[in-house]
Amino acid sequence: MRAYKPKDNVQAKAYYTDRFYVSPQVPKSPVESDEIFAKDLEAIKANFTVLDAYIQVEQMVVYINPQDNFKVLKLLRDECEYTQLSEMSAIDWLATRGGFEIFYQMLSMNKRKRIRIKMFINKGESVNSVEKLFRSADWSEREMFDMFGIEANGHPFMKRILMPYDWQGFPLLKTYPLQGDEFAAWYEVDKIYGKEARDIIGPELRDSAKVDRYDSERFARLGYEVPKGTVITGNEPKNEENYQEEGGVFMIKKFDKKDSVVVDDPQR
Amino acid sequence: MAQHKVNYTQNGGLPVALTSIDKIVNWGRSNSIWALTYGLACCGIEMMASGASRYDFDRFGTIFRASPRQADVMIVAGTLTKKHAEFIKRLYDQMTEPKWVISMGSCANTGGMFNTYATVQGVDRIIPVDLYLPGCAPRPETLQYGVMLLQKKIRANKASRAQVAKRLM
Amino acid sequence: MQVTNRLNPFFENITFDREDNEMILNFGPQHPSAHGQLRLMLHLQQEQITKAHPDIGYLHRGMEKMAENMIYNEFMPTTDRMDYIASSSNNYGFALAVEKLIGLEVPRRAKVIRMMLLEINRLMSHLFWLATTALDIGAMTVFLFAFREREYLMDIIEGYCGARLTHAAIRIGGVPLDIQDTFISQLKTFLDKLPQNIKDYEDLLDTNRIWLMRMEDVGTISKEMALSWGCTGPMLRASGVAWDIRKEEPYELYDEVEFRVPYSDKGDNFARYRIYMEEMRESAKILHQTIDMYEKCVKDNQTELMAHAPKYISAPKLDIMTQNYSLMQHFVLVTQGMRPPVGEVYVVTESPKGELGFFINSQGGPYPYRLKLRAPSFWHTGILTDLLPGHYIPDVVSIIGTTNIVFGEVDR
Repeated sequence: MRAYKPKDNVQAKAYYTDRFYVSPQVPKSPVESDEIFAKDLEAIKANFTVLDAYIQVEQMVVYINPQDNFKVLKLLRDECEYTQLSEMSAIDWLATRGGFEIFYQMLSMNKRKRIRIKMFINKGESVNSVEKLFRSADWSEREMFDMFGIEANGHPFMKRILMPYDWQGFPLLKTYPLQGDEFAAWYEVDKIYGKEARDIIGPELRDSAKVDRYDSERFARLGYEVPKGTVITGNEPKNEENYQEEGGVFMIKKFDKKDSVVVDDPQR
Repeated sequence: MAQHKVNYTQNGGLPVALTSIDKIVNWGRSNSIWALTYGLACCGIEMMASGASRYDFDRFGTIFRASPRQADVMIVAGTLTKKHAEFIKRLYDQMTEPKWVISMGSCANTGGMFNTYATVQGVDRIIPVDLYLPGCAPRPETLQYGVMLLQKKIRANKASRAQVAKRLM
Repeated sequence: MQVTNRLNPFFENITFDREDNEMILNFGPQHPSAHGQLRLMLHLQQEQITKAHPDIGYLHRGMEKMAENMIYNEFMPTTDRMDYIASSSNNYGFALAVEKLIGLEVPRRAKVIRMMLLEINRLMSHLFWLATTALDIGAMTVFLFAFREREYLMDIIEGYCGARLTHAAIRIGGVPLDIQDTFISQLKTFLDKLPQNIKDYEDLLDTNRIWLMRMEDVGTISKEMALSWGCTGPMLRASGVAWDIRKEEPYELYDEVEFRVPYSDKGDNFARYRIYMEEMRESAKILHQTIDMYEKCVKDNQTELMAHAPKYISAPKLDIMTQNYSLMQHFVLVTQGMRPPVGEVYVVTESPKGELGFFINSQGGPYPYRLKLRAPSFWHTGILTDLLPGHYIPDVVSIIGTTNIVFGEVDR
């Protein structure tokens, strides 16, 4: 019987886990322990529902409802001095929770504080674009669409950014294998030479560590080079490493190692 | 670093030399290998370093050209991604015969450490390659040695014979 | 359908759909002055750009996907290939993020060595920036000069970690090796010459008419635009925000060293150029101080280079070779990988290009559940959309030059 492999998450898995191992948690502290964060959280709480909030590794994490994201970010930018959206992206939780978690990483330069706004959307839902607030979201949202397939409503140019426009599949989903699917494997061959070239060019060789010293088609042993296709016996003659041919090169003086100078200290 | 004097005319600077057509054509070709600036990723930086002050590629007659029409050798320096693959084919087709390709670094040779969905697993899936340089990134010395080997390869060719276009298919 | 022949080539009987003068120029993806694989679609009205559409992704290698399939230590060499001009700063950003996740404290001597590597990398990156930008604008001499100095720094780094470009010189929890014997003396020789070298570049460029014409009042970024586009590093400081993470949110030992944060409120290419030059001087200043700090570490006999945390970090090599338990622990950490606590962390460092952030979501397994690389160049490329319209074609080259984008980082 073949071992069962889950289809909803094809990423690398730990092959051994202690049954009784309980992984520790990165410590979380309540928001009240920091004055500035507490004030910011109050400002958000006054107008919007806050599902959860805590401080983790010096940064406040606030969970909000997905429909509020534009307004919360506007409030943070205009009233709480969070003037920069440093980063935004998504986390794929389709296998366990059936949706995506989207985070916005904000920076306030006046307060020297960073907060992370997080929200959860279900599969197939789209988010409100914050491109009107922060121009940096223009490209981030395109990248999120490219990698996860999450669309942003009201975005001016919702197209792929990193992958080609005619790409199929969303690479950062947990269901997408690291080495790509059938479409990815033949993408460049199909595009340049056409499907009929697949047989001639052959499949990708994904084992880059493979070295076969008896294969003279693809490998050459340094110092024992032979013409392509020769059968390797192990008794190949040693080739002296010389750049110039035996009889010298036309119009160029034969290089003599004895005449050359070796410089030890490059900074002399 | 080795310093050595190169006397370009063997016979005491005599202005006359008798030779065959093969030799003189190959002499010209092998000592003026103009390379296409094809820096794709990290190896492109080492390619620039080999053109810059310490390694000085000009003494091999290797001058970087930005146009494929003026280039003899394409040094594919760096990772070739699937999005870029069609352009390398186009640039290769735009180069004039005779032309050679050096695949510089692990990524260009086999895909290297980037064994992922977005990387072409070796540029020899797209264009024919003459020399593979190992390393990640190869040192400028490696690239220079590669160019010297290419010169040797060019010298071994019959220049008078019509160039057979190299094609994958 | 056109019938083309020698007398009637195909371009002679094209009928244009539109009667305006707009022309669309494709720039890249393989252009010598695009600093990598940038593709720009430029809409032109005569020589003036009316609309710019940068297209990236030609070097997208799937690093975030790789991270999800690699144990933490395994991912370290991949970070080298992000900003390959200054590899160690990426290594450091990743190492710091994992250390924050675990809650590790790194020994002081390792911190000093890390700072030296970071500042050497910053110098290398800035020298490289100067060389390539000057080359794009036509100042070949500066290119040759700056590469000469960069090679000296590479010699020093090579002596430390054995690689010129892709260093992988920093480990999670410290550094693998002490610096070699010649490191300090070579660095001192280099630093002695550096002020004169920088002055040489400035003499060549500062009053050069061509340089000034290509740089002054070209590519002006306003403060609002820089903030809105998420610009960081020299791009932001040139637009009038004195924000340097080394100063504002100090990591490592940056709160112990003394340096200035150069900034300008002009926002144009020339301001950025001046900031890069001044930052080189500041880096040299920091390096002088780290040499003293290192010598003090040696005097105080602080020999620890890796943090002591048996659950996450392997023991020193000597222990692995002599003690059974250390060997077992090392075996488990190499084959299975460390398992950091469950949690999330977003850690920023000031890389030579700007704010380099690593967002890690760990679910307690040996592989990160999600790793997001926040590379500064990504947004510095994005700003070209708004920056280029109104400029002329020659300005494109100088603007791309001063944004200092590296495509390993943009596309990841």
